Amino acid sequence: MKFFFIFYVFFATYSTASEIDTRANTISKNLRCLVCDGQSIYESNSDFARDIKNYVKKEILNNRTDKEIYDFLISKYGESIIFNHTPSIKNITLWLAPGIFFLVGIFLLLRRVNVSK
Amino acid sequence: MYLKKGSKIIVLLIFFGLMFSFFYNSLYKKKDFEPRVMVGKRFPNLSSKSLFADRNMNIKQITNNNKFIVNIFASWCAPCRVEHPFLMELKNKKILIIGINYKDTKENAKKFLKKHKNPYNKILLDYKGELSINLGAYGVPETYLVDKNFIIIDKQIGPINNQFVKKVLNFK
Repeated sequence: MKFFFIFYVFFATYSTASEIDTRANTISKNLRCLVCDGQSIYESNSDFARDIKNYVKKEILNNRTDKEIYDFLISKYGESIIFNHTPSIKNITLWLAPGIFFLVGIFLLLRRVNVSK
Repeated sequence: MYLKKGSKIIVLLIFFGLMFSFFYNSLYKKKDFEPRVMVGKRFPNLSSKSLFADRNMNIKQITNNNKFIVNIFASWCAPCRVEHPFLMELKNKKILIIGINYKDTKENAKKFLKKHKNPYNKILLDYKGELSINLGAYGVPETYLVDKNFIIIDKQIGPINNQFVKKVLNFK
């Protein structure tokens, strides 16, 4: 019985710790290391990256949500600290513009072909 | 198209004008990754242990509604030695300077200050880098000019220079 209790406590603790690590890693992979060249916080070993990793882990232990962690870091370092930018009119315009131009181009081309027939 | 040739040209010109202004504005708009995101924002009310007093200190209590500068430094940081004479100059002009000792040891920080003289009125310890994240800092050295209303007026990344000293002295 005693053995099962120790076994249970060990695995319960291990699984919580690994859940925290998994969540911290997921967040760190979505954060840009602003003092490195093209690396994420997760990949980098710079002082800056280590500080952010520690901050993320500490805030997860303080029961902060992912959004709260991202919002805090954006307020300190700007939107560019995250890889997946939040939707804004500017971002949506930039993503949609090529598709719209392509469709308008096709439309004009088809019209011209029809007129010449 | 059912438009006349003149109207087509006007529509095209308007379209290209709009596109030009959109991309031109995007090009010159202040970028988020510009490391001055914190400028214009309220200075966070930091508190931490002091280097000399070994008790918790709060920046707001230290500054007492005066303008001040906050300098992040470390004994292992070579550019910090470059900016040290400028900090001493500010100290001699009675500017309130708060130091944040970043990822250092107490012994090394004290040795550093004994060797180069101490320009700081108070020094807070940041051995885990938590205060620096709260300040939106990227590393050492970094310096913030804060007004009496606790608003960040300017931020210098890297060692401060004559230009920054003049800015601090001229700022009322």
